[in-house]
Amino acid sequence: MTYITKPKFRHPELEQNARGFTRRDYEGKVSTLCAGCGHDSISAAIIQAVYELDLEPHRIAKMSGIGCSSKTPDYFLGASHGFNSVHGRMPSVLTGANLANRDLIYMGVSGDGDSASIGLGQFAHSIRRGVDMVYIVENNGVYGLTKGQFSATSDRGSRSKRGVVNHDAPIDMVALALQLGATYVGRSFSGDKHQLVPLIKGAIAHHGAAFIDCLSPCVAFNNHEGSTKSYDYVREHNEAVNFLDVITGRAPIKLDQEAGALAIVEQHDGSTLRLRKIHTDYDPSDRVGAMAYLTERAAAGEIVTGLLYVDPNAEDHHDYLNTVEAPLNTLDSEALIPSASALDKINASLR
Amino acid sequence: MPATITEREGESAGSAIITNDFVIKFANVNGSGSASANSLFAKCVLRMGVPIAARNIFPSNIQGLPTWYEVRVSEAGWLGRRGGVDLMVAMNPQTWAEDVRSIGPGFYLFHDTTKPLPPSMARDDIHVIGAPLTRICNETYADPRQRQLFKNIMYVGALAHLLGIPTDTVERLLQEEFAAKPKLIDANLHAFHLGRDYAQSSMAPIRLRLSPADKVGDRIFVEGNSACALGAVYGGATVCAWYPITPSTSLAEAFTAHCKALRTDSESGKAKYAVVQGEDEIASIGIVIGAGWNGARAFTCTSGPGVSLMQEFIGLSYFAEIPAVIFDVQRGGPSTGMPTRTQQSDLLSAAYASHGDTKHPMLFPADPTECFEMGALAFDLADRLQTTIFVMLDLDIGMNEWLCAPFAWEDGKRLDRGKVMTRDDLGAGIDFGRYLDVDGDGITYRTYPGAHPNKGAYFTRGTSRDRYARYSEEGAVYTDNMQRLLRKFDTAKSLVPAPVRRDAARRTPYGVVYFGSTTPAMHEAIDALERQGRHVNALRIRGFPFSDEVFDFIRAHEQVFVVEQNRDGQLRALLINEGGVHPTRLTPVLHYDGTPITARFITAEIAGQMKSIETMPVSD
Amino acid sequence: MVFEKVAAVYSADGRRSLKPTGEPDEHYECDDVLVAVGQENAFPWIERDIGLDFDQWDMPKVDPVTFQSSNPKVFFGGDAAFGPKNIIWAVAHGHDAAISIDKFVHGQSVEDRPPPMVTLVSQKMGIHEWAYDNDLSNDVRYKVPLVDKDVALKDVRTEVELGFDRKLGYAEAQRCLNCDVQTVFSAPLCIECDACVDICPMDCITFTENGEEEALRARLNAPAHNTTQDLYVSETLKTGRIMAKDEDVCLHCGLCAERCPTGAWDMQRFTLDITHADHRCQQR
Ligand SMILES: Cc1ncc(C[n+]2csc(CCOP(=O)(O)OP(=O)(O)O)c2C)c(N)n1
Ligand code: SF4
Ligand code: SF4
Ligand code: SF4
Ligand SMILES: [Mg+2]
Repeated sequence: MTYITKPKFRHPELEQNARGFTRRDYEGKVSTLCAGCGHDSISAAIIQAVYELDLEPHRIAKMSGIGCSSKTPDYFLGASHGFNSVHGRMPSVLTGANLANRDLIYMGVSGDGDSASIGLGQFAHSIRRGVDMVYIVENNGVYGLTKGQFSATSDRGSRSKRGVVNHDAPIDMVALALQLGATYVGRSFSGDKHQLVPLIKGAIAHHGAAFIDCLSPCVAFNNHEGSTKSYDYVREHNEAVNFLDVITGRAPIKLDQEAGALAIVEQHDGSTLRLRKIHTDYDPSDRVGAMAYLTERAAAGEIVTGLLYVDPNAEDHHDYLNTVEAPLNTLDSEALIPSASALDKINASLR
Repeated sequence: MPATITEREGESAGSAIITNDFVIKFANVNGSGSASANSLFAKCVLRMGVPIAARNIFPSNIQGLPTWYEVRVSEAGWLGRRGGVDLMVAMNPQTWAEDVRSIGPGFYLFHDTTKPLPPSMARDDIHVIGAPLTRICNETYADPRQRQLFKNIMYVGALAHLLGIPTDTVERLLQEEFAAKPKLIDANLHAFHLGRDYAQSSMAPIRLRLSPADKVGDRIFVEGNSACALGAVYGGATVCAWYPITPSTSLAEAFTAHCKALRTDSESGKAKYAVVQGEDEIASIGIVIGAGWNGARAFTCTSGPGVSLMQEFIGLSYFAEIPAVIFDVQRGGPSTGMPTRTQQSDLLSAAYASHGDTKHPMLFPADPTECFEMGALAFDLADRLQTTIFVMLDLDIGMNEWLCAPFAWEDGKRLDRGKVMTRDDLGAGIDFGRYLDVDGDGITYRTYPGAHPNKGAYFTRGTSRDRYARYSEEGAVYTDNMQRLLRKFDTAKSLVPAPVRRDAARRTPYGVVYFGSTTPAMHEAIDALERQGRHVNALRIRGFPFSDEVFDFIRAHEQVFVVEQNRDGQLRALLINEGGVHPTRLTPVLHYDGTPITARFITAEIAGQMKSIETMPVSD
Repeated sequence: MVFEKVAAVYSADGRRSLKPTGEPDEHYECDDVLVAVGQENAFPWIERDIGLDFDQWDMPKVDPVTFQSSNPKVFFGGDAAFGPKNIIWAVAHGHDAAISIDKFVHGQSVEDRPPPMVTLVSQKMGIHEWAYDNDLSNDVRYKVPLVDKDVALKDVRTEVELGFDRKLGYAEAQRCLNCDVQTVFSAPLCIECDACVDICPMDCITFTENGEEEALRARLNAPAHNTTQDLYVSETLKTGRIMAKDEDVCLHCGLCAERCPTGAWDMQRFTLDITHADHRCQQR
């Protein structure tokens, strides 16, 4: 980690987005993670994505559990409210926050221990409920903060830094998310911002439960030979099915790729996902196909990345609950307190 | 003048007519449809203007196990359990022995005479009466389900005749109940008359009577859970997250029903509330805390096991200072304990919930009226104190219909959102430190996420931080914060409901403290003790942290009885711990068998204690 | 005080002179008037027949590297050589002229000048400890405190600039950009984790495909427009990409090296040991 604050100096030609913010305006406190930790790169990707989407930082709420990964919300979007809750329970806190104010964008950041072990239940249920959120698991295959124990996403046969072999079967969070009904599912790698940044942008623009499994090497405990979550291993086995461009607003859509290799998906909020396909027969609108393909490639030892599934017309938890348009936290006494006469009626019915 | 329990105590066979003062108990089988018949009976008595206290005693199972419904009829207005049974409607062969045993000498056993009583069960000091309910039913109905259902209405009919319930009262109640399904009115009435006619033609009169009185007034008959839920609606709660657990489930269900009626936007038909059935209690409190953090009023309702699961989050709420409301409808612990029985045994686990140094305010409603009031108040307190507020009721209040004062609300009352810095405050450049105690009351200002484009954002965490919410594990910074939290807890003393004092007619060195569902039985016991010439001043505690008044009261008495429904004297422990009270001053009076405490029990305990204190050799 | 308005006019030979514009004079009320007197270089006293050539501005012709005039025995430096600059330049001129003179008197060619000595020393001491002070201050330049105006005006010999006191001097020194500390990259150590890219406040570092310089400059995280400053480009990395760094905007803050998990970046202090006019500058 570095402990001095990042100088305010910035590149003289640093561009501003439509809100008049530079990318640097979306930074947070100085990270306390290990030098080279993949999680810091994901923070940088989040900053880039939010900057490119011209979002106002105060319209975003950052939520997390406990772990190295869960610390990161302090290190990006310093002008956003953040909530570092308890281990494995980010999804419920996020769900509650989202119920209280449907107008904010909810960014849930978690780790593989946080979400695949202690918080597996909450992960599953928040996805099931279709909470409108971006749920990012910074997946390093270990418990970083407690010093390198295997996590539930560690692959069978992978070796720890001390040489211990993991015998337990791994949980594939992408497969789970698909099965649980997530309406936007992606996987990426902290070392590939070209793929990751648009994936996050698409997730933010998505209305519904968006889940991203982001491989994020732990340089301290899981970046050695024998690990299946190291920079080298992930690079060697990464099988991208597509690359994404997210186009918001009026920007024209350039078609510089042959038809068939390009898919255009219009999302609920008017944003457009422009998918450059690497595997032309991969169809990200086919949930069952995606699950089958993932299982097949995983068996072949490949890590499939890209936008794996999207339902552009998804609904969210509020749609299901039929809540009013106005955020619940803005309803005043007038709107919330029934009259004394309504109470009299209730009294009368109880005699 | 109505009879009182002291006069009646130990009474055996006599011939005097007893009017409007007896206990009738229905022993049924769970799932047999007896609940609506029993409730019909209770409502009939109320409609006659005679106060009742009704209690369900039911098992943790859906079908087949014993369940009882006890109705205490008391024109004098005693609403606690008296103890003892004057008329046992024994409809459950499973519990014959204990049901027969519980009848007071000289009183009545009513049974289904289709089958003769087993001779081993007979007692010769009681009156055995009955009607061939099954036989009449089998002759009348072909469908076995109907046979079972109408058997219950039939005994109501028989009782109506024996006790003197006017038929038109029953008719009116059935019409109200089945307004939407008129066919059922006639069917029920038919069964009612079958029973009534049988009693009229074939049963001898009994000594117990009901007679119209005008003692109910405008009081309502309602469950505490429903009242809490209604309080939550009036208290502005918009988010409810819960996980089913007896005896709290009906609170969430009632909230949903009340909201549907009262909180549906008339134009759009959309909900101005959100109810989520969580995957467990941890998720439920997590949702509540997320919503509270984001400025919505949120609550969960649960019981002991749920509170155990919520511990970590409750600590977060305490330390990160996030408003939350938990309705703890207490049941018999520990572990799964007696899940459908009542106790006041979560006091300690709620007061000090979570690891590290934590304490949480608690409110103790004594009846559904207070459930409503405190149910609403809890949300103002949670916002003002920015912490978890427990509303501690129990199965007795929560799941039984209580006769209580009608709910009252003043139009124009506003939600008190506590210290919140608005967009304007922030824009005006007021210094914002999330944990900065500007007023000296330990309560700091918070901002809602998204309040201002570039001011007022902070990072909420369960780790130690300074006054400006910046992470710090420096000893001085940590203790500064912990001390402020104590100051805040001190402020809470003046915000929770004040205790209610009832002084004896005479000066006395004896005091008694009690709370919650013990209240009606306590009042009756005080009255009974007074008749024995034993005087006690009484203080009903309604909130934690305890105000100075509580400790002044204890100091002002030589001996203070602490009456509560748990084994370990949890209220007493709290008093000792929080007020430095010497343990010998506080005499525990404990009732914890899972049934609601009775006036007879309290009277006997306190009288016994007083006797032994009075005869104790004086030491020098 | 009355001011006549003038404008700068350049003659055919590029000489600048100030000519009245003909506009009306302007009058300013003031309490005091301080007259600043400038000086001009002029060498009317140098004989024009001693083999010393003068240029169109009547200044001696001087070699900008050796500081030798057209008369090999005469050397110029400072204001006398190229007109007014500051004292730092003048000292540097003296240094180089001294080398020229040393070589000249030893009968060697003044053109043949040995280069200065250069050393690079790693500054890394611990995880985030450096042998140099890398914590940059964001402060803007501090003003040098001045003597009170009333005092200054009373006596023309008063020292007006008071200089920095200890505290201010320290604060001002914190603004140093450590130009002497260089980022040095070692390609074989790099695991391409992006940590340096993410932390760099100036967007200096890019990992990308190699290419022609012009295209590469445009492809960087922040385009490098100053073509007089070379890009720092690594050899090919594991993924086939290269690291390209725009040196032009680097703050030498060392954050890239602090964040680098493998030590692929190092911060090294660059020391320039200038050539001295003694035996070391002689041909051996
Ligand atoms: C209830 C509870 N149990 C255990 C811990 C200790 N703990 C802190 S972080 C962590 C694991 C984090 O792993 P992961 O989510 O993968 O995050 P990473 O550090 O790898 O990013 C554990 C077990 C805790 N904070 N709370
Ligand atoms: S321990 Fe691993 S996960 Fe944690 S900060 Fe260090 S590198 Fe990152
Ligand atoms: S020294 Fe600082 S400015 Fe220069 S490349 Fe490294 S991080 Fe960037
Ligand atoms: S931080 Fe180091 S290892 Fe990582 S990309 Fe930069 S130079 Fe390479
Ligand atoms: Mg991990």
